[in-house]
Amino acid sequence: MATAFRRKGSRVVAKLDGNERAIVRELLDQTRQLLAPSGGTGDPVEDLFAGLGETPDPDELAHRDPALARLLPDGHRDDPEVAAEFRALTENGLRQRKTANLSTAIEALDQPATRDKLELDLGQAQALLIGLSDVRLALGERLGLRTDEDSEQLQQDLAAAGAAGADDPQLVIGLYYDFLTWLQESLALALR
Amino acid sequence: MPIVEVVSVAPPEHASPDVDLDSAAKEQTDRPWVTIVWNDPVNLMSYVAWVFRTYFGYSEAKAEKLMLAVHQEGKAVVSSGPRERMETDTEAMQGYGLWATFEKDT
Repeated sequence: MATAFRRKGSRVVAKLDGNERAIVRELLDQTRQLLAPSGGTGDPVEDLFAGLGETPDPDELAHRDPALARLLPDGHRDDPEVAAEFRALTENGLRQRKTANLSTAIEALDQPATRDKLELDLGQAQALLIGLSDVRLALGERLGLRTDEDSEQLQQDLAAAGAAGADDPQLVIGLYYDFLTWLQESLALALR
Repeated sequence: MPIVEVVSVAPPEHASPDVDLDSAAKEQTDRPWVTIVWNDPVNLMSYVAWVFRTYFGYSEAKAEKLMLAVHQEGKAVVSSGPRERMETDTEAMQGYGLWATFEKDT
């Protein structure tokens, strides 16, 4: 059973049991796969320069997975030309950085644990904090969360379903989302 | 509301012949650009305030005030300055997962 993150000097510490840790790791990894720049050589520096200034395929952009689209929003609301130019300059780098950040968070979770203890240095804690946002944005898109009212409705649905929620795939995503919300909140408070 | 709107490509409008290029150019340099963070139902208030403190180096009070403006008014201008810097800030905010855009100040 998980306990909230708390600050211990220059580290933050929480407890996550093996199952909880595996779920968080899996969701971080799925988000990393979603964000990984496509068609790269695998060499981060080479890929960064190769992708710089490259205009994303408009067809891919139009049919993009909504969760990925949510993670890489338009940079300008009213001017599609400015938005496209901004995307060409930034998208590849953003994907590289998000992917690298998620890898740091995953490696931190892969550290051997004694008695379910998860101990992170501040760099790892920051990577996990940011990574949890990316995961929650992707899950939130799957859950159709568009407004603050949608989030409140999800809370009510989860409370109403109770233990029976574990049979409904959409509610299972909701339960994961809810768990990550709690975990991220506790980490943000520990890093204040 | 769709996160990414499908925008039809309209033919470019012709510039009106009476545009005063000098004053237009002047306006370009005088009016700053802004970075805007929009409210979304996922990012936590504690996290958004942490991002504003961490990236911009804002005081706790200023970060909280901006975060509340995003939450209650739907958006807030989080920085202003030359266009290039606003693009950098927008990219950084998107890196943190915040829903950020840049535009010319109105």
